[in-house]
Amino acid sequence: MLEPFQLPFVQRALLELLLLAVLAGTLGCWIVLRGLAFPAHGAAAAAFPGLVLADGLGFAAALGGFGAALLFALAVGRGEGHDTRTALTLVAALAAGIVLASDIFHSAASVESLLFGSLLAIDPADVRLAAAAAVAALLASALLSTRWLATGFDPQAAQALGVRSRLPDTTLLALVAFAAVATLSAVGALLAAAILVVPAATTRLASDRIKRWQLTTTALAAAEGTIGIWLAVKLNAPPGATIAVVAGAAFALTALATAITPVLRRVT
Amino acid sequence: MTADRAGGGEDARATPERGSCAHPEPTGPARQLVRAQGLAVAYPGNAPALTDVTFELTKGERIAVLGPNGGGKTTLFRALLGELRPAAGTIELRDRCASVPQTERSRLDFPVSALDVALMGTIPTRAWWRRPSRVDRAAARAALGRVGLTEQVHDTYGELSGGQRQRVLIARALVQDARVLLLDEPFTGLDATSAAGLEVLLRELAAEGRGILIATHDLEQARRWDRVLCLNRRQIAFGVPAQTLDHEVLAATYGGAIVTLPGEPATGVHHAILPPHHHHHEH
Repeated sequence: MLEPFQLPFVQRALLELLLLAVLAGTLGCWIVLRGLAFPAHGAAAAAFPGLVLADGLGFAAALGGFGAALLFALAVGRGEGHDTRTALTLVAALAAGIVLASDIFHSAASVESLLFGSLLAIDPADVRLAAAAAVAALLASALLSTRWLATGFDPQAAQALGVRSRLPDTTLLALVAFAAVATLSAVGALLAAAILVVPAATTRLASDRIKRWQLTTTALAAAEGTIGIWLAVKLNAPPGATIAVVAGAAFALTALATAITPVLRRVT
Repeated sequence: MTADRAGGGEDARATPERGSCAHPEPTGPARQLVRAQGLAVAYPGNAPALTDVTFELTKGERIAVLGPNGGGKTTLFRALLGELRPAAGTIELRDRCASVPQTERSRLDFPVSALDVALMGTIPTRAWWRRPSRVDRAAARAALGRVGLTEQVHDTYGELSGGQRQRVLIARALVQDARVLLLDEPFTGLDATSAAGLEVLLRELAAEGRGILIATHDLEQARRWDRVLCLNRRQIAFGVPAQTLDHEVLAATYGGAIVTLPGEPATGVHHAILPPHHHHHEH
C-alpha cells in the first residue's frame, strides 16, 4: 500500500508538499484572516506570464514568476475595491501567458504544467524555494503577528496605536507573492489556492487562536498532500489536481458537518 | 502639534517641597495633561471640521464631550492622537493619549483572546521586529486585572459580553501607559449593570491621576462628571456641567433639536431632552 512512497520522485514530491504545508499553515491563516484569498489566487495567476517569459527568454523561472506576482500583489492586490482589479488582472495575465506561449515562444507544451503543476517532475531547486518560502513565512509571522492582528482587528484603532500598517501589510503581500510562486511547481498557477487558502479556510471554524489554527492547518495540509500524492500515483491522476480535489472535499465535508451539527443536536 | 513636556508633572513631583505641602499632588499647571487653544482641525484638503476649541484637561478629571454625530468629537480625538494636524491653534500634551474605540468596530470573529487584544497596546513601545516580551505580557495581564478581567485573560474576545469587551479595550489603552484616555461612546449598548460598573472603573482610573475625555450622548451621565465640552463643528461651551448645560448651550450644541418638557422652568437645566438620540451616520 505504501509502495508509491518508495519511489525517489514521489519522496521528493512529498518533501515539497510537507514544506508547502508549513507555508499553508503559517501564511494561509493570515491570508484567510485578512481576506487575501482572491489576491493570493491573482498573484499566482500573474506569475504565469512571468514564467512563460522566463522560459522563453532563458532566465530563472522563479525570478520571472516572483517578479510578476510581486508586481501584481503590490500594484493591484491592495487598497479598497481590489477585487475587481484582481479579476481583470487575472484574466489579462492568463490571456497574456497563453498568447506568449503559443505565438511568440512556441512553448505551448509547457502551459499545462505551468497552470496545473508538475509535482512528480520537480527538481531540488523547487524544494529549496518551498523551504525558503516556509522559513520566510514563519519568521515574518513570528515578528509581525501582533501588527497583522491589530490591523485586521480594527484598522482605525491600529492607526491610533501607531501601527504604520503600510510596512507590515506590504510585507504580507510580498510574502503572499513569494508563497504563490513557491507553490507553482507543485500545483501550478491556477491551483495555488488549494494549498494557500483551502486548508486554512477548512480549519477556520474550529480555531479560536492564531497559533493553534496555524498548527492545525499545517497538519491538515500535510495530510491532504500525502493522501493526494498517494492517490495520484495509485490512480495515475495529475497530482496537483488530485491534491486540490482532496483539499476541496475536506473543506466541503467540514462545512457540511459544521452546518449539520446544530441541527442534529436540536433533533436528538 | 506642540508637545510641550518641559514643565510637566515629572518635574513638579521631584520638587523638595513635597513633604511640607498639605496637598501631595501639585496644583495649577503641573496637573495639566492637555491644553488646546484656538484649535481648528481639518481633514486633508477640506475646510476645518472643528474650530475654536479651547479647553484643558487636568489629572483626575473626567470631561464629557457632547455633540451631535458629525459635530467633531471624533475629529478632536484624532487630533489629540496626532492623526490629524491642527489647521490653527495649538495642542499641548503633557502625556501620551490612548484611545478606546467603540467595541462594535472591532472584529468579533477574530481568533484572539482578551490577552491578545491587550497586548496590541504594547505595539507603540516596541520596535517592529520585536515580539511581545515577558514584560509586555505581564503589563497586559496587569491591565486586564486592573479592569477586573483577571478570570477572562484567556477567553476569546468575541465571546465576552459587551461590557467586558469595553474593559478589554480600556486595558489595551492602560497598557500603553497613557495618562490621557479618549473614550468613544463607551456606554453604547451596555446593560445597566455593566454601565454602572464601567462608570465606577472610570472614576477610579481618573482618581489614579489620569485625565479622561468621554464622548457621549447621555446628558444625565455628563452631569455627573467634572466638566463638559460641547462641540457642534465649533466649540459651543466648556465648563462645569451645572453652570454650562443650560438650554441655550444645548440648543446650540444639538442644532435646536431640544424639547423642553411642559411646565418646566425656562432655564431647563435638568429637563432638556434630545429626541433624535442616535443617528447612524459617522463622519
